[in-house]
Amino acid sequence: MEKAKISAKQLFVVVVLFEMGSAILVGLASSAKQDAWIAILLGMVGGITLFLVYHRLFVFYPDLPLTSYVQKIVGKWMGRMLALLYIVYFIYIAGRVLRDFGELLTATIYTNTPLIFLITILMITISYAIQKGFEVIARVGEIFFIVVYLMAIAGFFLIIFSGLIHLENLKPMVENGWMPIIKTTLRETLNFPFGEMIVFTMLLPYLNKPEKARVMCISGMVLSGINITIASVINVATLGVDLFVRAPYPLLATVSKIQLAQFIERLDVLFMLYLMIAGFIKVAIFYYAAVIGTADLFHFKDYRKLTLPIGTIVLLAAMFMAQNYMEHIKEGLDVVPIFLHWPLQIMIPVLLLVIAYLRKKISQKQSLADVSQTADGADA
Amino acid sequence: MAKLSNLFNKKQKSKQNDNLRQKLDPSAPKELVICRDYKDNISRIKEEMGNSSDLIIRELKIGPYPGALVFIDGLVDGKGISDFLIESIMSAELPDDNPDFDLFQFLLDNTVAFGSVKTIKNWNDLYDSLLSGCTVIFLNGYNKAISCETRGGDKRAISEPTQQLSIRGPKDSFTETLRTNTALIRRRIKSPNLQVEPMKIGTVTGTDVAILYIKGIANDKIVKEVRERITRIKIDSIMDSGYLEQLIEDQTWTSFPTTFHSERPDVISSQLLEGRVAIVVDGSPFVLSVPAIFVQFFQAPDDYYSRFDLSTSIRLLRILAFLIALIGPSLYIAATTFHQEMIPTTLAIAIAAQRENVPFPAFVEALMMEIVFEILREAGLRLPRAVGQAVSIVGALVIGQAAVEASIVSPVMVIVVSITAIANFSTPVFAMAISARLLRFALMILSAFIGFFGIMIGLMILTIHLCSLRSFGVPYMMPLAPFNWDGQQDVFIRFPVWAMKKRPKFMSKDNRLRTGTNQKPEPPKGDSS
Repeated sequence: MEKAKISAKQLFVVVVLFEMGSAILVGLASSAKQDAWIAILLGMVGGITLFLVYHRLFVFYPDLPLTSYVQKIVGKWMGRMLALLYIVYFIYIAGRVLRDFGELLTATIYTNTPLIFLITILMITISYAIQKGFEVIARVGEIFFIVVYLMAIAGFFLIIFSGLIHLENLKPMVENGWMPIIKTTLRETLNFPFGEMIVFTMLLPYLNKPEKARVMCISGMVLSGINITIASVINVATLGVDLFVRAPYPLLATVSKIQLAQFIERLDVLFMLYLMIAGFIKVAIFYYAAVIGTADLFHFKDYRKLTLPIGTIVLLAAMFMAQNYMEHIKEGLDVVPIFLHWPLQIMIPVLLLVIAYLRKKISQKQSLADVSQTADGADA
Repeated sequence: MAKLSNLFNKKQKSKQNDNLRQKLDPSAPKELVICRDYKDNISRIKEEMGNSSDLIIRELKIGPYPGALVFIDGLVDGKGISDFLIESIMSAELPDDNPDFDLFQFLLDNTVAFGSVKTIKNWNDLYDSLLSGCTVIFLNGYNKAISCETRGGDKRAISEPTQQLSIRGPKDSFTETLRTNTALIRRRIKSPNLQVEPMKIGTVTGTDVAILYIKGIANDKIVKEVRERITRIKIDSIMDSGYLEQLIEDQTWTSFPTTFHSERPDVISSQLLEGRVAIVVDGSPFVLSVPAIFVQFFQAPDDYYSRFDLSTSIRLLRILAFLIALIGPSLYIAATTFHQEMIPTTLAIAIAAQRENVPFPAFVEALMMEIVFEILREAGLRLPRAVGQAVSIVGALVIGQAAVEASIVSPVMVIVVSITAIANFSTPVFAMAISARLLRFALMILSAFIGFFGIMIGLMILTIHLCSLRSFGVPYMMPLAPFNWDGQQDVFIRFPVWAMKKRPKFMSKDNRLRTGTNQKPEPPKGDSS
C-alpha cells in the first residue's frame, strides 16, 4: 500500500468518472430497447445495495484493502487464493476496458491504425499516472471531471437546440412486460457498471475521512447513474429504438448528428476527448487496484516496481482476449457476467460479509464469556 | 599530527606569533582573533588581499594614539567617510588625565557619526563587513575593531519594469541592490509583521539573500521549509536569483516553473499578502516568491487594477492564447494530415490548393517554420540593438512572403505560425511562456504520428505531470486539483475586490480574512433624485 490520502471530494469525483466510464459510450442495456433507462436505474439501485455490502466489509477492516482482509476472513491460504483471483479479475477487466476503447478508436476514426499501437500508447500514458501514485490519479480525475462536465453540458444543449430530441421514441413504455427489463438489469446493468464498485474495496482505505465513504460513493453512483440514464434517454430519443439497438456506439451516432448554424458540426472530436478521459480513468483504477493488490499480496515494499510488468500483462490480455470485435462483445455479454461478475462482484463479497459477521459474533461471545468468567472468578 | 598539536600549544602563547606561523605554514587555519598591534593587522590585510588597488588604508592619529581606517574604494560612500569619520575623528578632543580612559569606547560613543556601528572581534566578521562596504577602524592596543556602516558607491536607479509590463499600476521595478529591493517592498507593506531574514550564500561570492514574509499570514511550515532549503545550499557563487531558483525548486525534471519570479514590487507585495514567502537575492532584479501554483502564471498585475469584468475576460483570453501557443501547430498538422473531414469543405479545398505546390508533408513544413521562427526570436534577443531592425525586416520578408512564393511553405502555415508566436507572447510570465514553446514541439511530433489522438495523449500526460508537481509542498494545480471553492475567486474568473474575502487556503492556515463585511459599494440610500 502506498501512503496516499485522498479527500472525500476526490473520491466522489473518481467514483463518478469511473462509473460513467465506458457505460455511457456503449449502448448500455440496449436489449431492453426503449426501456433501457429503466434497466439502468434498476441496476443502479441494485448496485447501491451491493455497495452497501462492500462498505460493510470496509467498516469491519477500515485500514485494509480487499486482498488483505480476505485473508483474515477466510484464513490465510484460502484468502490468498481469493486475493489472487481478484487481482487476475482486475487485470482482466482492465484489459477488457482497454480493448473496448481500442476497438472504438479503430472502428471509428483510426480505421487503418493497428489496434496494438493505439492501446500501447494509451497504456504508456496510464502507466505514467500509476507510477505517480493514487493521489495524482485523484487530482487528474478532478481536472477531467471539470472538462467532462463542461463538455457534457455543451453537448446536451447542442443536441436540444439541434432539434434532435423526439421523446415519443421512448414510447411505449414497458412494451413487453417487466421480464426483459429485469433480465437486462440482472445480466448487464447490475454488473456493469455498478457492480464494478468492487474495485473500490481496494481504494477506500486511502480516504482521509473513512466515515464519509458511504455518502460519497453512493452519491457518486447516483449522479453517474442519472447521467447514464440521461445519455440513454437522449440516445433513444435521437436515434429511435432500431438504430439505438443496432449501433455499436449510440452516443457517437447521436453526437455526429449534431448540426447547428451550418457551423457546429462533426463534433466527433468532443466524443473522442470524452472517450480518452473515460478510458483513462477506468483502466487506471482497475490497473492500479491490480498493482497494489499484487504488492499487498506478495509483500512488495514499493508497488512501483510492479507497474511495468502488470501493465504489460494488461496490454497482452487486451490484445489476445478475443480474435475480433464480435468475439469480444459476445464474451462481454454472455460469458463474463455469468462466470466472472456474478461470482466475484456478488456471491463472494456477500459470503465474505456473512463469515466476517459470524466471526465477529463469535469473538464477541468469546470475549463476553471471558469477561463473565473473570467476573465469576472475582465473585468466587 | 605533531604540527597540529604544536598549533594548539601555540594558541596559549602571545598572539603576536600568529602572523609568523601563518607565513611559515599557509595551510594552517588562520587565527581568527584580531591583533593588538594595529600595524600587524594592516599588514595582514594587505598581504591577504594581495595589495589590491581598491583597498584603501588611511593611518591617522587620534590625539597621541595611532590607528588606521580601512575601506574598499567604490563600495563605500566616500563623502560620508571624509565628512563624518575622518573629520570627526581628527577633530576629537580627548579628555585629559583620566586613568580609566578607554579610547575604543570613546570613539564608539562620541566620535563616529554613523547610524550603524559594530564592534568586531574576529577576522571573518571583519572581511564580511569590509567587503560589503563598511569602514573598519583599528586602534593600537585593542584586539577588536570598529566597523561603520558606510555602504555606498554606484548603483542603478529604480526604473520602469522591462519584462512584466502593465497598462495601469505602479511603474517602479526592482534593482540589483538588495537593500533597495527590500525597501521597495517595505514601503508598500507598512507592518511590523513583515519580516526580513538575512542570509549569506556562496562560499566565494558571499551573496546576501533575504527571506521576506509576513508573520501571522504566511504559513510557518512553508517559511521553515524555505529557510531549510536555503541554508542547505553549498555552492561557490550565486549570480542571480535564477541560480537559487534551481537549487531550491521541488522538481528538476519539469518544463514548468515551480517558483514564481517578478521584477515588480507590487506583484511581490501582493504575493506576500497572500501568505507567500519572497526571496530577494543581492545582484538580481528578479525577486522569487514561493510556493508557486500553475494558475498564478496567468495572473497579470493589470487584472487587479482594472475592474473585474474586464480583467476576467482578458484573463480568459490569455488562457486561450496559452492553449493556442501550445497546440496551435499540432492541431493544424492533425487536421490536414489525418482529419480532413473536420475542416469545413470549402476551407479544406482552399488549403489543399495552397498545399499543392508544397513538397513537404504538413509536419515537416510546420517544424521548419517553427524552428526558423524560434531562431529569429533568439537572434532578435541577442543582436545589438542597432541591427535588430534589420533582422525583423529580413525575417518578415523571408519567412513571410518569399518562403510562400518559393513554394516552401503554404500561406496557411505562415498564418498558423504567426498566430502561435503572437499567442505565446500573451502569457504574462516568460518562464511559463517558454514552457509552452518547448512542449509545442513534442505535441507536434505526437500529432504527426497519430493526429488528434496523439494531441490528446500529449495533453493527458501533461495533465498527469502537472498534477504530480508540487511547489514547497503545495500541489501545483491548486485550487483546481485538489479542488476548493474558496480558491476559485482568482482562477478563471477574477472576483470583484470586495468579494475576494479570503486568502488562499493553502498558503495561510489561520489568518485568512482579507476584507471586512459589507464591502460591496452601493449608491446612497433614500436619494431618489
